[in-house]
Amino acid sequence: MTLTALTDQPVHSRGQSFWRAVELAGCYLLGALWVLPLFYAVWMAFHAAEYEVRFDLFAPLTLGNFVDAWNAAPFARYFLNTFVLITVILASQFVICTLAAYAFARYEFRGKTIVFMLVLLQLMIMPEVLLVENYRTMVKLGVIDTVLAMGLPYMASAFGIFLLRQAFLTVPKELDDAARVEGAGPLGILLKVYVPLSRPIYVAYGLVSVSYHWNNLLWPLVVTNSVSTRPLTVGLQVFASPDQGVQWSIISAAALMTSAPLLIGFLLFQRQFVQSFMRAGIK
Amino acid sequence: MSGIEIKNLHKRWATFDAVRDVSFTVAPGTLTVLLGPSGCGKSTTLRLIAGLDAATSGQILIGGRDVTTAPPARRGLAMVFQNYALFPHLSVAENILFGLKVRRVPAAERTRRLRKAADILGLGALLERKPSQLSGGQQQRVALGRAIVAEAPICLMDEPLSNLDAQLRHEMRKEIRSIQQSLNMTMVYVTHDQIEAMSLADQVILMRGGSIEQKAAPVDLYLKPATSFAARFIGTPPMNLIALANGKGGAIVKGSQGPALVEGSGDGLLLGLRPEEIRIEREGIVPATIRSIEYHGADSILECAVGDQLLLVRVEGIRRHTVGDTVRLGWLPEAMHIFDEAQSQRVERKVLVRQAEPALRVAT
Repeated sequence: MTLTALTDQPVHSRGQSFWRAVELAGCYLLGALWVLPLFYAVWMAFHAAEYEVRFDLFAPLTLGNFVDAWNAAPFARYFLNTFVLITVILASQFVICTLAAYAFARYEFRGKTIVFMLVLLQLMIMPEVLLVENYRTMVKLGVIDTVLAMGLPYMASAFGIFLLRQAFLTVPKELDDAARVEGAGPLGILLKVYVPLSRPIYVAYGLVSVSYHWNNLLWPLVVTNSVSTRPLTVGLQVFASPDQGVQWSIISAAALMTSAPLLIGFLLFQRQFVQSFMRAGIK
Repeated sequence: MSGIEIKNLHKRWATFDAVRDVSFTVAPGTLTVLLGPSGCGKSTTLRLIAGLDAATSGQILIGGRDVTTAPPARRGLAMVFQNYALFPHLSVAENILFGLKVRRVPAAERTRRLRKAADILGLGALLERKPSQLSGGQQQRVALGRAIVAEAPICLMDEPLSNLDAQLRHEMRKEIRSIQQSLNMTMVYVTHDQIEAMSLADQVILMRGGSIEQKAAPVDLYLKPATSFAARFIGTPPMNLIALANGKGGAIVKGSQGPALVEGSGDGLLLGLRPEEIRIEREGIVPATIRSIEYHGADSILECAVGDQLLLVRVEGIRRHTVGDTVRLGWLPEAMHIFDEAQSQRVERKVLVRQAEPALRVAT
């Protein structure tokens, strides 16, 4: 996207074209740096173990690593766990953040500013800082090693509340008034006016949330200890631990496999995602 | 069918009174226009009637029922907003049917009402479009459609035509009036455009600074303005208001030599004369000098000096006068409006001007 946007601009002078060339070269360099490890992983995943550190363009391709990886660990279960985890988190985030954002955007109540400040304050705290405290809370709640425990700390997302509040504030008050005159109640107005009008924000936020929780390792690692709850990241971590013997080609295959759904999803819906981010005004 | 009754309505925002002690009634099936300059409280009054804002004190009755604290949906009304308030994510048909769906009107009834509204407004071909694909006039029609399908006895309109161009505004004005009459709606219409008010209304309520300046039928508002503000607000160009002074035998135009125009003292009084009521006559009442001429086509506006006061005079389009000419201005006795300058209220004084003899008028 960035590259096409740059090349679409007309060239005005030689000085400019020089700097544009530098810029382009920089773009390609950074792009290459970013994509090289991925290429390496793909290379290893599709070749037998002896080609791990030996580059041969005509080395025989194989899917054996994927089969081995799939059989070596309960990845199907991990996929299911991750899928359930993400669904639960995203659904609760949408519900909780929508309601909170609506209250902050359209209702006047005592202490509104202070409460909102507290919500914003949450944005500035690294989740890792609360690791121990959160664990203690989960123990008290008696939910250790469950999907709920993995999702609970993330359900009321300050980022989501803030983002949706800003989106709701841009909805013209007149539409709210019109819906009220037409007989819609507060919840009806929220669902029929505010939510549909903020769809790009929901897509953008959903994307950020899904990719964050798909990749989240530390908290699930701490709070889970059985196959039936472990998400993909933790499963992969367990799988790649040295006591299994380090087989990079199989690990690469497993890593590719676990990130494939997200990767394919991004590629398929790239256009919509980019548009939604543009409309959402965040990058 | 129900009317509206407003009793001593008051709305106070944090720092100022937006609506002060406003009372009026709207008879069933009639159109009342709330007219006034921006910030006069007309829109706030409408929002109070709609229930979108809560009144500080006072009472609102719709169809004889006290709805002062009722939510908007329980007041049996429809509303058209200044920017149309169409839902951008819904098609025209969905926009029109929004309220009916919320109120769970059966599907067959919804279709019937949609078809009826689309017929009245000529929206048949546009029902599947999104609001962003419509012109301003079409959007306006959709907003009207939403008000029509509600089949509410009361319809409130908040400056519905202010975003349209002059041509379209004229057409929609006529259309709104005909819809209102054919569906027998009770309508309250807010505007700052006096021409809209005069042409639409059964009753005009002129507001200023949160209070009612005058409530009257358009004809009475024009012929008998209750205050100097009402006098200036209605008519293009607005009514001339010139200062009077004490003179021999009565009040004279300030700075002039007479003659006496009204009985009694003239200090602190204003004389109101509409530009279209003044004529240039050989036997006219006061002498005047033409200061400037503004040519409009069908007519011209002459600016004439009488004493040290300036008067606008509307004359027919042909240029028969030049700047600097001295002419005599005449008018009918009933064209004169006298106001108290300090209180700006209308005062009745005996007029000393006599109607010119028909023979003399013909001679001019």
